[in-house]
Amino acid sequence: MASIAIPASLKIACSSHHVIKKQQSQAKPGCCFGAKQATHVVTVDVEGKRMLNIAEQQENASVHNKGPKGVEGESEHVMDTGSSVPKLFHDARWKNGTWDLNMFVKDGKMDWDGVIVAEARRRKFLEMHPQVSTNQAPVLFRSSIIPWWAWIMRSHLPEAELLNGRAAMVGFFAAYLVDALTGLDMVGQTGNFICKTGLFMIVLGIILFRRTKDLGNLQKLVDEATFYDKQWQASWQNPDASNGTSEQSQKDYYADADKECQECEMGNMGFYGN
Amino acid sequence: MTSVAFTAHLSTATTNQKSNEFRRETLKTFVGLRKTTPVNHHSISLTKSLPNRQFNRSLRIVAGKSSPKVTSRNLRVAVIGGGPAGGAAAETLAKGGIETFLIERKLDNCKPCGGAIPLCMVGEFDLPLDIIDRRVTKMKMISPSNVAVDIGQTLKPHEYIGMVRREVLDAYLRDRAATSGATVINGLFLKMDMPEASNAPFVLHYTAYDGKTGGAGVRRTLEVDAVIGADGANSRVAKSIGAGDYDYAIAFQERIKISDEKMTYYENLAEMYVGDDVSPDFYGWVFPKCDHVAVGTGTVTHKGDIKKFQLATRNRAKDKIFGGKIIRVEAHPIPEHPRPRRLAGRVALVGDAAGYVTKCSGEGIYFAAKSGRMCAEAIVEGSEKGTRMIEEGDLRKYLEKWDKTYWPTYKVLDVLQKVFYRSNPAREAFVEMCADEYVQKMTFDSYLYKKVVPGNPLDDIKLAINTIGSLVRANALRREMDKITL
Repeated sequence: MASIAIPASLKIACSSHHVIKKQQSQAKPGCCFGAKQATHVVTVDVEGKRMLNIAEQQENASVHNKGPKGVEGESEHVMDTGSSVPKLFHDARWKNGTWDLNMFVKDGKMDWDGVIVAEARRRKFLEMHPQVSTNQAPVLFRSSIIPWWAWIMRSHLPEAELLNGRAAMVGFFAAYLVDALTGLDMVGQTGNFICKTGLFMIVLGIILFRRTKDLGNLQKLVDEATFYDKQWQASWQNPDASNGTSEQSQKDYYADADKECQECEMGNMGFYGN
Repeated sequence: MTSVAFTAHLSTATTNQKSNEFRRETLKTFVGLRKTTPVNHHSISLTKSLPNRQFNRSLRIVAGKSSPKVTSRNLRVAVIGGGPAGGAAAETLAKGGIETFLIERKLDNCKPCGGAIPLCMVGEFDLPLDIIDRRVTKMKMISPSNVAVDIGQTLKPHEYIGMVRREVLDAYLRDRAATSGATVINGLFLKMDMPEASNAPFVLHYTAYDGKTGGAGVRRTLEVDAVIGADGANSRVAKSIGAGDYDYAIAFQERIKISDEKMTYYENLAEMYVGDDVSPDFYGWVFPKCDHVAVGTGTVTHKGDIKKFQLATRNRAKDKIFGGKIIRVEAHPIPEHPRPRRLAGRVALVGDAAGYVTKCSGEGIYFAAKSGRMCAEAIVEGSEKGTRMIEEGDLRKYLEKWDKTYWPTYKVLDVLQKVFYRSNPAREAFVEMCADEYVQKMTFDSYLYKKVVPGNPLDDIKLAINTIGSLVRANALRREMDKITL
């Protein structure tokens, strides 16, 4: 693999520094291929990694040798990615571009939580170390395979429990307070219109503004949704700058129109006079 | 107010007929020669731009808007910029009988461009099929976690996205304008003197090269009655009329020549890479050109990091462009929204100069050509094929028509960009949604024919539910990702 990479890199060695960058990045695929084919069998991974390390060392040496001043900054950058790109995503349960669901069985039941966490790890890894998208090893996993209730049980329920707990505590004390102040007991409060509207507003407020920054977020959302419209409508509004020129041309129009009108009037009178 | 105009017009018309032999000269300036409907339109469109002088304006319009007939010559219009917008405008003007001057600074300009044109452009502009280098019928969308989705299965056999070389397309449109009667001037537009009186001409200053490259050029002037600014994102015409600024994206592209066997993969396939590494608010692409591929990316918010994004794009496509040789590096600004003022007096902006590039896909060629044509049509109509002087109201009609026809398209794409390009989870959801056949059909239908067609409502509801589901899942995964430390 490395031997294929070298002649390719030699071909373009005499071009701009952009190309030198490319050359350095091309040295890596040779290693990548070797490692990728290794992922299918877990045991070979170690060898693959060793291969990568050797290639990295070679690369580091070559990078230090060549590269004019201007490229040094960029080559440093490339070196960083160079050391992380060969770091492929390895997981025993990730096979052929998808998660092997058979490996997620816990106590005889499907462990969807485990799948969610594993997928999150994979995405996090790829975000930190973006990888080549190849046709040989396409990603076939789709998050829609995880059933809807697994999501709810994992992320929605704990938060819901927290909020409901808080609401219950606040509600209890609010009912007590209102009873002490107005004399309406629980049954009376639920029948009272004001109490019901108050409750409704509170629930709505909690849903919309869970945190104080949600207020700002909502305002920003509204602004964002209408910003593009404002940019388009700008042509139809009259900024002050345009007023000056258009008024000038208006006056000219008026002057011309005035002249013509006068001629017409005089002509009319002349005709009728005849 | 329109009724007053109407009665005023009627009274002058009747007196005209009676006093024919008396005032032959003044007769030509009278409105009796015009039909009533255009007058009403003028009063309406002019009041739109100047809401405070409605009553007087309408009266004046009738007499002044009789528009002095341009005697002994045709209306002269200059089109600055010879790209798709300029070429289309010049052709329509010339065919409409107007004396047209097309000023282009570099006749062999190879504008950095994705080069994708929708199917409807081939039909609407009668483009010969040999200027289309490739027909893209498949696209691959690749998410941040390398989920790759193929789209294009819903395309019918005759449907495709055409990939063109800008130098070929621009030259073709310019030559067609020249054969229709436009005068193509090889020169660089410098500045424009505004007219002193209302019907005085514009004086354009330009440096004429006359096809000589590298020469200093000769300074010349040209007098015209109206100007169409089609000179692109860095428009000088826009600066002359104080059109205002817009936000713009930087599109950076490298043309890479890859081996023939790798080229067969891109035979009729284009790729789009999304992700924070590739671009924080746009996408990276690999588009096939005549015999090489163009690999590029763009951004609005992080222009300084464009080289980093380009590296990341090349990295993601590394497997498929491995061993390729970079033959050209190019970059260009792309407007994000229209300029605050798209016309002033008898000067109108079209194409990139006006900022008619869609969001989400960054498509501009079709809209440039279409806006050039629409503006030219408005001028031809307003001047009655070059016999009358036009005024701002005629050009406002072009703006109205444009906004009415294409506003939904622009708005929908803006919403899509805001929803789906804002973060990695959103992009994952976007790519997931693209796998849906209904989405593909709607996307391609609206892209290829430039019409936002409401689909089946039941399918729309299903689509909405699926979209929300995808977004929720992706964001839930994002929250999980935040909890993990690698």
